[in-house]
Amino acid sequence: MKVPAATLARVFWRCLFLQAAWNRRGMQNLGFAYAIDPALRRLYADPERRKEALRRHLCFFNCHPYTGAAIVGGAIHHEERVAAGEEAERLPLVFKETLQGPLAAIGDGFFWTALRPFFGALMAFGALAFGWPAVVAGLVLYNAVHMALRIRLFLAGYRRGDAVVSEVARLSLPVVADRLRLGAAALAGLCLVLVLAKGAAAMTLPLALAGLAAAALGALALWLGLRLFPAVYATILAGAGATLAAVHLFLRGP
Amino acid sequence: MTLDYLLLGIIAGLAAVERKGFLQAMLSRPIALAPATGLVLGDPQGGVLLAAPLELLWLGAVNLGAALPAHEALGASAIAGAAVLAGRALGTGVTPAVAILAVLICAPLALLGRKADGLVERVNERLARRADALLAQGNPRAAVRENLYGLFLPFAISFVLAPLGASVAAAAIPALLRRFPGGEWLLSGSWVAFGAFACAAAAKALRAGRAPAVFLGAVGAGLAVALLLARHGP
Repeated sequence: MKVPAATLARVFWRCLFLQAAWNRRGMQNLGFAYAIDPALRRLYADPERRKEALRRHLCFFNCHPYTGAAIVGGAIHHEERVAAGEEAERLPLVFKETLQGPLAAIGDGFFWTALRPFFGALMAFGALAFGWPAVVAGLVLYNAVHMALRIRLFLAGYRRGDAVVSEVARLSLPVVADRLRLGAAALAGLCLVLVLAKGAAAMTLPLALAGLAAAALGALALWLGLRLFPAVYATILAGAGATLAAVHLFLRGP
Repeated sequence: MTLDYLLLGIIAGLAAVERKGFLQAMLSRPIALAPATGLVLGDPQGGVLLAAPLELLWLGAVNLGAALPAHEALGASAIAGAAVLAGRALGTGVTPAVAILAVLICAPLALLGRKADGLVERVNERLARRADALLAQGNPRAAVRENLYGLFLPFAISFVLAPLGASVAAAAIPALLRRFPGGEWLLSGSWVAFGAFACAAAAKALRAGRAPAVFLGAVGAGLAVALLLARHGP
Protein backbone atom coordinates (compact mmCIF):
# COMPACT_ATOMS: atom_id res chain seq x y z
CA MET A 1 0.00 0.00 0.00
CA LYS A 2 1.16 3.53 -0.84
CA VAL A 3 0.65 6.50 1.44
CA PRO A 4 -1.69 9.01 -0.33
CA ALA A 5 -0.29 12.38 -1.42
CA ALA A 6 -2.53 14.28 1.01
CA THR A 7 -1.12 12.26 3.91
CA LEU A 8 2.42 12.90 2.69
CA ALA A 9 1.64 16.64 2.65
CA ARG A 10 0.36 16.34 6.22
CA VAL A 11 3.52 14.53 7.28
CA PHE A 12 5.65 17.24 5.66
CA TRP A 13 3.70 19.93 7.53
CA ARG A 14 4.32 18.05 10.77
CA CYS A 15 8.05 17.84 9.93
CA LEU A 16 8.13 21.58 10.60
CA PHE A 17 7.51 20.69 14.29
CA LEU A 18 10.40 18.21 14.45
CA GLN A 19 12.09 20.06 17.33
CA ALA A 20 8.97 21.16 19.25
CA ALA A 21 9.79 18.95 22.25
CA TRP A 22 13.57 18.61 21.82
CA ASN A 23 14.88 16.82 24.90
CA ARG A 24 18.22 15.44 26.07
CA ARG A 25 17.00 11.85 26.33
CA GLY A 26 15.51 11.20 22.91
CA MET A 27 16.30 14.58 21.30
CA GLN A 28 13.84 14.83 18.33
CA ASN A 29 12.17 11.47 19.06
CA LEU A 30 8.79 12.98 19.93
CA GLY A 31 8.92 15.27 16.90
CA PHE A 32 9.73 12.35 14.61
CA ALA A 33 6.88 10.23 15.97
CA TYR A 34 4.50 13.20 15.68
CA ALA A 35 5.53 13.80 12.05
CA ILE A 36 5.29 10.22 10.83
CA ASP A 37 2.09 9.30 12.72
CA PRO A 38 -0.40 10.20 9.91
CA ALA A 39 1.48 7.87 7.54
CA LEU A 40 1.53 5.05 10.12
CA ARG A 41 -2.21 5.44 10.65
CA ARG A 42 -2.70 4.92 6.91
CA LEU A 43 -0.35 1.96 6.69
CA TYR A 44 -1.41 -0.01 9.79
CA ALA A 45 -5.13 -0.59 10.21
CA ASP A 46 -4.42 -2.95 13.11
CA PRO A 47 -4.01 -0.82 16.29
CA GLU A 48 -1.38 -3.19 17.71
CA ARG A 49 0.79 -2.97 14.58
CA ARG A 50 0.40 0.81 14.52
CA LYS A 51 1.39 1.01 18.18
CA GLU A 52 4.44 -1.13 17.50
CA ALA A 53 5.42 1.03 14.51
CA LEU A 54 5.03 4.21 16.56
CA ARG A 55 7.18 2.71 19.33
CA ARG A 56 9.93 2.18 16.73
CA HIS A 57 9.87 5.89 15.94
CA LEU A 58 9.82 7.06 19.56
CA CYS A 59 13.41 5.94 19.99
CA PHE A 60 16.36 8.36 19.91
CA PHE A 61 16.55 10.59 16.86
CA ASN A 62 18.55 13.71 16.14
CA CYS A 63 19.18 15.43 12.84
CA HIS A 64 19.15 18.90 11.33
CA PRO A 65 15.50 20.10 11.20
CA TYR A 66 15.69 20.70 7.41
CA THR A 67 17.57 17.56 6.31
CA GLY A 68 15.61 15.53 8.89
CA ALA A 69 12.71 15.78 6.41
CA ALA A 70 14.64 13.42 4.09
CA ILE A 71 14.79 10.83 6.87
CA VAL A 72 11.08 11.16 7.65
CA GLY A 73 10.36 10.63 3.93
CA GLY A 74 12.76 7.67 3.81
CA ALA A 75 11.24 6.12 6.93
CA ILE A 76 7.79 6.18 5.25
CA HIS A 77 9.38 4.54 2.19
CA HIS A 78 10.59 1.69 4.45
CA GLU A 79 7.38 1.50 6.51
CA GLU A 80 5.37 0.94 3.29
CA ARG A 81 7.51 -2.13 2.67
CA VAL A 82 7.25 -3.30 6.27
CA ALA A 83 3.45 -2.94 6.13
CA ALA A 84 3.39 -4.97 2.90
CA GLY A 85 5.55 -7.68 4.50
CA GLU A 86 8.47 -7.05 2.10
CA GLU A 87 10.94 -5.86 4.73
CA ALA A 88 11.91 -6.65 8.30
CA GLU A 89 10.58 -4.28 10.99
CA ARG A 90 14.08 -3.22 12.02
CA LEU A 91 14.97 -1.75 8.59
CA PRO A 92 13.28 1.67 9.06
CA LEU A 93 15.33 1.98 12.26
CA VAL A 94 18.56 0.94 10.53
CA PHE A 95 17.83 3.55 7.84
CA LYS A 96 17.32 6.27 10.47
CA GLU A 97 20.36 5.29 12.52
CA THR A 98 22.60 5.19 9.46
CA LEU A 99 21.59 8.50 7.94
CA GLN A 100 20.80 10.80 10.86
CA GLY A 101 24.44 11.59 11.66
CA PRO A 102 25.67 12.33 8.12
CA LEU A 103 22.56 14.34 7.21
CA ALA A 104 22.80 16.30 10.48
CA ALA A 105 26.41 17.18 9.62
CA ILE A 106 25.42 18.26 6.10
CA GLY A 107 22.48 20.30 7.40
CA ASP A 108 24.51 22.03 10.11
CA GLY A 109 27.38 22.68 7.72
CA PHE A 110 25.25 24.04 4.90
CA PHE A 111 22.10 25.59 6.32
CA TRP A 112 23.18 26.74 9.80
CA THR A 113 26.78 27.81 9.20
CA ALA A 114 26.59 28.95 5.56
CA LEU A 115 23.20 29.66 3.96
CA ARG A 116 21.59 31.33 6.98
CA PRO A 117 24.63 33.47 7.91
CA PHE A 118 24.95 34.47 4.25
CA PHE A 119 21.35 35.64 4.12
CA GLY A 120 21.74 37.27 7.54
CA ALA A 121 24.71 39.30 6.28
CA LEU A 122 22.94 40.02 2.97
CA MET A 123 19.84 41.32 4.76
CA ALA A 124 22.00 43.33 7.19
CA PHE A 125 23.71 44.98 4.23
CA GLY A 126 20.34 45.53 2.58
CA ALA A 127 18.86 47.03 5.77
CA LEU A 128 21.78 49.46 6.10
CA ALA A 129 21.71 50.44 2.42
CA PHE A 130 18.03 50.32 1.48
CA GLY A 131 15.96 49.84 4.67
CA TRP A 132 13.16 47.36 5.43
CA PRO A 133 12.23 46.40 1.82
CA ALA A 134 15.61 44.67 1.53
CA VAL A 135 14.84 42.63 4.67
CA VAL A 136 11.49 41.51 3.26
CA ALA A 137 13.09 40.59 -0.09
CA GLY A 138 15.85 38.65 1.69
CA LEU A 139 13.35 36.70 3.80
CA VAL A 140 11.28 35.78 0.74
CA LEU A 141 14.37 34.62 -1.13
CA TYR A 142 15.79 32.63 1.82
CA ASN A 143 12.52 30.84 2.39
CA ALA A 144 12.05 30.10 -1.30
CA VAL A 145 15.48 28.40 -1.28
CA HIS A 146 15.09 26.70 2.09
CA MET A 147 11.54 25.43 1.51
CA ALA A 148 12.38 24.18 -1.99
CA LEU A 149 15.32 22.18 -0.59
CA ARG A 150 13.30 20.93 2.38
CA ILE A 151 10.46 19.68 0.15
CA ARG A 152 12.91 18.19 -2.37
CA LEU A 153 14.75 16.29 0.38
CA PHE A 154 11.49 14.96 1.85
CA LEU A 155 10.28 13.71 -1.53
CA ALA A 156 13.70 12.30 -2.44
CA GLY A 157 13.73 10.37 0.85
CA TYR A 158 10.22 9.04 0.23
CA ARG A 159 10.77 8.07 -3.41
CA ARG A 160 14.32 6.76 -3.23
CA GLY A 161 14.77 5.49 0.33
CA ASP A 162 18.45 4.72 0.96
CA ALA A 163 19.38 6.24 -2.42
CA VAL A 164 18.57 9.68 -0.94
CA VAL A 165 22.29 9.83 -0.11
CA SER A 166 23.20 10.17 -3.80
CA GLU A 167 20.50 12.82 -4.21
CA VAL A 168 22.04 14.85 -1.36
CA ALA A 169 25.56 14.31 -2.74
CA ARG A 170 24.43 15.65 -6.13
CA LEU A 171 23.59 19.00 -4.53
CA SER A 172 27.34 19.57 -3.72
CA LEU A 173 26.33 21.41 -0.57
CA PRO A 174 29.82 21.53 1.09
CA VAL A 175 31.33 23.31 -1.93
CA VAL A 176 28.48 25.83 -2.09
CA ALA A 177 28.71 26.29 1.70
CA ASP A 178 32.33 27.45 1.57
CA ARG A 179 31.50 30.07 -1.07
CA LEU A 180 28.51 31.29 0.93
CA ARG A 181 30.66 31.72 4.07
CA LEU A 182 33.19 33.82 2.17
CA GLY A 183 30.33 35.80 0.61
CA ALA A 184 28.99 36.48 4.11
CA ALA A 185 32.45 37.66 5.25
CA ALA A 186 32.61 40.08 2.30
CA LEU A 187 29.12 41.38 3.08
CA ALA A 188 30.08 41.90 6.74
CA GLY A 189 33.06 43.98 5.53
CA LEU A 190 30.79 46.11 3.33
CA CYS A 191 28.40 46.54 6.28
CA LEU A 192 31.27 47.99 8.29
CA VAL A 193 31.90 50.59 5.57
CA LEU A 194 28.19 51.54 5.61
CA VAL A 195 28.22 51.82 9.43
CA LEU A 196 31.22 54.13 9.21
CA ALA A 197 29.71 56.22 6.41
CA LYS A 198 26.43 56.64 8.31
CA GLY A 199 28.36 57.54 11.48
CA ALA A 200 30.43 60.12 9.59
CA ALA A 201 27.29 61.64 8.06
CA ALA A 202 25.60 61.87 11.48
CA MET A 203 28.56 63.03 13.59
CA THR A 204 31.60 64.06 11.45
CA LEU A 205 34.35 61.79 10.20
CA PRO A 206 36.80 62.13 13.14
CA LEU A 207 34.15 61.00 15.61
CA ALA A 208 33.14 58.07 13.40
CA LEU A 209 36.80 57.09 13.07
CA ALA A 210 37.11 57.23 16.87
CA GLY A 211 34.23 54.75 17.05
CA LEU A 212 35.98 52.58 14.48
CA ALA A 213 39.17 52.59 16.54
CA ALA A 214 37.20 51.43 19.60
CA ALA A 215 35.60 48.69 17.51
CA ALA A 216 39.03 47.58 16.30
CA LEU A 217 40.17 47.21 19.93
CA GLY A 218 37.06 45.23 20.81
CA ALA A 219 37.46 43.01 17.75
CA LEU A 220 41.11 42.40 18.58
CA ALA A 221 40.13 41.33 22.11
CA LEU A 222 37.52 39.00 20.60
CA TRP A 223 40.04 37.45 18.20
CA LEU A 224 42.47 37.00 21.11
CA GLY A 225 39.88 34.94 22.97
CA LEU A 226 37.67 37.33 24.98
CA ARG A 227 34.06 36.15 25.05
CA LEU A 228 31.43 37.95 22.98
CA PHE A 229 29.53 39.74 25.74
CA PRO A 230 32.52 41.19 27.64
CA ALA A 231 33.93 42.30 24.27
CA VAL A 232 30.62 44.04 23.42
CA TYR A 233 30.58 45.97 26.69
CA ALA A 234 34.28 46.85 26.41
CA THR A 235 33.71 48.13 22.86
CA ILE A 236 30.75 50.28 23.87
CA LEU A 237 32.71 51.84 26.75
CA ALA A 238 35.78 52.32 24.55
CA GLY A 239 33.53 53.94 21.93
CA ALA A 240 32.34 56.53 24.43
CA GLY A 241 35.92 57.16 25.59
CA ALA A 242 37.27 57.46 22.05
CA THR A 243 34.48 59.87 21.09
CA LEU A 244 35.26 62.04 24.11
CA ALA A 245 38.94 62.06 23.20
CA ALA A 246 38.14 62.89 19.54
CA VAL A 247 35.90 65.78 20.56
CA HIS A 248 38.75 67.26 22.63
CA LEU A 249 41.43 66.62 20.00
CA PHE A 250 39.67 67.52 16.75
CA LEU A 251 36.64 69.63 17.51
CA ARG A 252 37.79 71.85 20.40
CA GLY A 253 41.49 72.11 19.57
CA PRO A 254 44.45 71.05 21.75
CA MET B 1 1.19 51.05 27.45
CA THR B 2 -0.04 47.72 28.84
CA LEU B 3 -1.13 46.77 25.33
CA ASP B 4 2.39 47.55 24.04
CA TYR B 5 3.94 45.17 26.57
CA LEU B 6 1.34 42.53 25.77
CA LEU B 7 2.12 42.82 22.04
CA LEU B 8 5.85 42.70 22.78
CA GLY B 9 5.34 39.55 24.86
CA ILE B 10 3.35 37.89 22.09
CA ILE B 11 5.87 38.68 19.37
CA ALA B 12 8.79 37.57 21.58
CA GLY B 13 6.94 34.36 22.47
CA LEU B 14 6.12 33.55 18.85
CA ALA B 15 9.72 34.23 17.87
CA ALA B 16 10.95 31.83 20.58
CA VAL B 17 8.67 29.13 19.13
CA GLU B 18 9.75 29.81 15.53
CA ARG B 19 13.41 29.80 16.52
CA LYS B 20 13.55 26.13 17.45
CA GLY B 21 10.21 24.39 17.82
CA PHE B 22 8.47 25.31 14.57
CA LEU B 23 9.53 26.29 11.04
CA GLN B 24 12.97 27.97 11.51
CA ALA B 25 12.43 30.36 8.59
CA MET B 26 14.68 33.19 9.91
CA LEU B 27 11.60 35.05 11.20
CA SER B 28 13.06 34.97 14.72
CA ARG B 29 16.50 36.21 13.64
CA PRO B 30 17.25 39.78 14.80
CA ILE B 31 17.24 41.05 11.19
CA ALA B 32 13.54 40.18 10.88
CA LEU B 33 12.47 40.33 14.52
CA ALA B 34 13.75 43.84 15.36
CA PRO B 35 11.82 45.54 12.50
CA ALA B 36 8.77 43.37 13.26
CA THR B 37 8.91 44.42 16.92
CA GLY B 38 9.27 48.05 15.85
CA LEU B 39 6.32 47.67 13.49
CA VAL B 40 4.09 46.16 16.18
CA LEU B 41 5.02 48.95 18.61
CA GLY B 42 4.53 51.70 16.03
CA ASP B 43 8.13 52.51 15.02
CA PRO B 44 9.35 50.17 12.26
CA GLN B 45 12.28 52.47 11.39
CA GLY B 46 13.51 52.22 14.97
CA GLY B 47 13.53 48.45 14.63
CA VAL B 48 15.36 48.63 11.30
CA LEU B 49 18.11 50.76 12.90
CA LEU B 50 18.81 47.92 15.35
CA ALA B 51 18.28 45.02 12.97
CA ALA B 52 21.60 44.97 11.10
CA PRO B 53 24.03 45.29 14.04
CA LEU B 54 22.10 42.76 16.14
CA GLU B 55 21.98 40.25 13.28
CA LEU B 56 25.71 40.60 12.67
CA LEU B 57 26.49 40.40 16.39
CA TRP B 58 24.62 37.11 16.69
CA LEU B 59 25.42 35.72 13.24
CA GLY B 60 27.18 32.79 14.92
CA ALA B 61 24.29 32.00 17.28
CA VAL B 62 23.25 28.68 15.76
CA ASN B 63 21.83 25.58 17.35
CA LEU B 64 24.40 22.90 16.43
CA GLY B 65 23.55 19.47 17.83
CA ALA B 66 22.97 19.68 21.57
CA ALA B 67 24.90 22.97 21.98
CA LEU B 68 22.85 25.91 23.25
CA PRO B 69 23.66 29.31 21.72
CA ALA B 70 22.69 32.70 23.17
CA HIS B 71 18.94 33.30 22.80
CA GLU B 72 19.27 35.95 20.10
CA ALA B 73 15.49 36.16 19.59
CA LEU B 74 14.81 37.04 23.23
CA GLY B 75 17.68 39.54 23.24
CA ALA B 76 16.62 41.18 19.97
CA SER B 77 12.93 41.49 20.87
CA ALA B 78 13.71 42.98 24.30
CA ILE B 79 16.29 45.40 22.89
CA ALA B 80 14.04 46.55 20.03
CA GLY B 81 11.03 46.84 22.34
CA ALA B 82 13.00 48.82 24.93
CA ALA B 83 14.46 51.17 22.32
CA VAL B 84 11.11 51.91 20.69
CA LEU B 85 9.32 52.49 24.00
CA ALA B 86 12.16 54.63 25.42
CA GLY B 87 12.33 56.64 22.18
CA ARG B 88 8.61 57.24 22.39
CA ALA B 89 8.88 58.38 26.03
CA LEU B 90 11.63 60.85 25.06
CA GLY B 91 9.74 62.03 21.99
CA THR B 92 12.82 61.48 19.80
CA GLY B 93 12.18 58.01 18.40
CA VAL B 94 15.03 55.49 18.39
CA THR B 95 18.28 57.49 18.26
CA PRO B 96 21.74 55.85 18.35
CA ALA B 97 22.03 56.80 22.04
CA VAL B 98 18.69 55.20 22.88
CA ALA B 99 19.62 52.11 20.85
CA ILE B 100 22.99 51.59 22.52
CA LEU B 101 21.52 51.96 26.02
CA ALA B 102 18.86 49.40 25.11
CA VAL B 103 21.65 47.03 24.03
CA LEU B 104 23.58 47.64 27.26
CA ILE B 105 20.57 46.92 29.47
CA CYS B 106 18.79 44.14 27.57
CA ALA B 107 21.56 42.13 25.86
CA PRO B 108 22.15 39.92 28.95
CA LEU B 109 18.63 38.55 28.43
CA ALA B 110 20.10 36.53 25.55
CA LEU B 111 22.27 34.70 28.10
CA LEU B 112 19.37 34.25 30.49
CA GLY B 113 17.41 32.83 27.57
CA ARG B 114 20.15 30.26 27.00
CA LYS B 115 19.81 29.13 30.62
CA ALA B 116 16.04 28.92 30.14
CA ASP B 117 16.58 26.74 27.05
CA GLY B 118 18.34 24.20 29.28
CA LEU B 119 15.32 24.20 31.59
CA VAL B 120 12.98 23.69 28.61
CA GLU B 121 14.99 20.64 27.50
CA ARG B 122 14.69 19.09 30.97
CA VAL B 123 10.93 19.71 31.05
CA ASN B 124 10.62 18.18 27.57
CA GLU B 125 12.17 14.97 28.93
CA ARG B 126 9.03 14.62 31.02
CA LEU B 127 6.91 15.02 27.90
CA ALA B 128 8.90 12.25 26.20
CA ARG B 129 8.41 9.94 29.21
CA ARG B 130 4.69 10.74 29.28
CA ALA B 131 4.44 9.95 25.56
CA ASP B 132 6.00 6.53 26.22
CA ALA B 133 3.48 5.92 29.02
CA LEU B 134 0.51 7.02 26.88
CA LEU B 135 1.60 4.71 24.07
CA ALA B 136 1.93 1.82 26.51
CA GLN B 137 -1.64 2.58 27.66
CA GLY B 138 -2.77 2.22 24.03
CA ASN B 139 -3.30 5.90 23.26
CA PRO B 140 -0.98 6.70 20.32
CA ARG B 141 -2.81 9.89 19.30
CA ALA B 142 -2.31 11.43 22.75
CA ALA B 143 1.29 10.17 22.81
CA VAL B 144 2.33 12.05 19.68
CA ARG B 145 0.36 15.15 20.71
CA GLU B 146 2.80 15.54 23.62
CA ASN B 147 5.21 16.96 21.03
CA LEU B 148 3.10 20.10 20.64
CA TYR B 149 3.06 20.77 24.39
CA GLY B 150 6.80 21.41 24.05
CA LEU B 151 6.01 24.72 22.34
CA PHE B 152 4.33 26.21 25.41
CA LEU B 153 7.30 26.81 27.75
CA PRO B 154 9.60 28.61 25.23
CA PHE B 155 6.64 30.87 24.38
CA ALA B 156 5.85 31.56 28.02
CA ILE B 157 9.45 32.33 29.02
CA SER B 158 9.95 34.89 26.25
CA PHE B 159 6.42 36.25 26.74
CA VAL B 160 7.41 37.16 30.31
CA LEU B 161 11.11 38.05 30.02
CA ALA B 162 11.07 40.29 26.93
CA PRO B 163 8.49 42.80 28.27
CA LEU B 164 10.11 42.64 31.71
CA GLY B 165 13.55 43.57 30.36
CA ALA B 166 12.07 46.16 28.01
CA SER B 167 10.11 47.81 30.83
CA VAL B 168 13.25 48.21 32.98
CA ALA B 169 15.17 49.68 30.03
CA ALA B 170 12.28 51.88 28.87
CA ALA B 171 12.16 53.43 32.35
CA ALA B 172 15.93 53.76 32.79
CA ILE B 173 16.90 55.12 29.34
CA PRO B 174 14.84 58.36 29.37
CA ALA B 175 15.90 59.02 32.97
CA LEU B 176 19.60 58.56 32.07
CA LEU B 177 19.47 60.71 28.93
CA ARG B 178 17.59 63.51 30.70
CA ARG B 179 20.08 63.49 33.57
CA PHE B 180 23.17 63.46 31.30
CA PRO B 181 22.17 65.39 28.15
CA GLY B 182 25.80 65.47 26.90
CA GLY B 183 25.80 61.69 26.98
CA GLU B 184 23.90 61.61 23.68
CA TRP B 185 27.09 62.49 21.73
CA LEU B 186 29.28 60.00 23.55
CA LEU B 187 26.74 57.25 23.06
CA SER B 188 26.48 58.06 19.35
CA GLY B 189 30.20 57.24 19.16
CA SER B 190 29.51 54.04 21.06
CA TRP B 191 26.82 53.18 18.51
CA VAL B 192 29.35 53.44 15.64
CA ALA B 193 31.81 51.34 17.66
CA PHE B 194 29.15 48.73 18.41
CA GLY B 195 28.02 48.54 14.76
CA ALA B 196 31.57 48.15 13.46
CA PHE B 197 32.39 45.61 16.18
CA ALA B 198 29.30 43.56 15.23
CA CYS B 199 30.60 43.35 11.63
CA ALA B 200 33.96 42.03 12.84
CA ALA B 201 32.24 39.59 15.23
CA ALA B 202 30.22 38.28 12.26
CA ALA B 203 33.40 37.64 10.26
CA LYS B 204 34.87 35.77 13.24
CA ALA B 205 31.75 33.65 13.66
CA LEU B 206 31.92 32.34 10.08
CA ARG B 207 33.61 28.96 10.04
CA ALA B 208 35.95 29.60 7.12
CA GLY B 209 39.73 30.00 7.29
CA ARG B 210 39.80 32.74 4.66
CA ALA B 211 36.88 34.71 6.15
CA PRO B 212 39.09 37.28 8.00
CA ALA B 213 41.10 38.04 4.84
CA VAL B 214 37.95 38.36 2.73
CA PHE B 215 36.38 40.59 5.43
CA LEU B 216 39.38 42.93 5.53
CA GLY B 217 39.57 42.94 1.74
CA ALA B 218 35.92 43.96 1.50
CA VAL B 219 36.47 46.71 4.09
CA GLY B 220 39.43 48.03 2.08
CA ALA B 221 37.57 47.89 -1.22
CA GLY B 222 34.46 49.47 0.28
CA LEU B 223 36.48 52.30 1.84
CA ALA B 224 38.23 52.94 -1.46
CA VAL B 225 34.90 53.19 -3.28
CA ALA B 226 33.49 55.42 -0.52
CA LEU B 227 36.50 57.76 -0.75
CA LEU B 228 36.20 57.94 -4.52
CA LEU B 229 32.50 58.72 -4.25
CA ALA B 230 33.18 61.36 -1.59
CA ARG B 231 35.79 63.08 -3.82
CA HIS B 232 33.99 62.90 -7.14
CA GLY B 233 30.37 62.59 -6.11
CA PRO B 234 28.08 59.61 -6.87
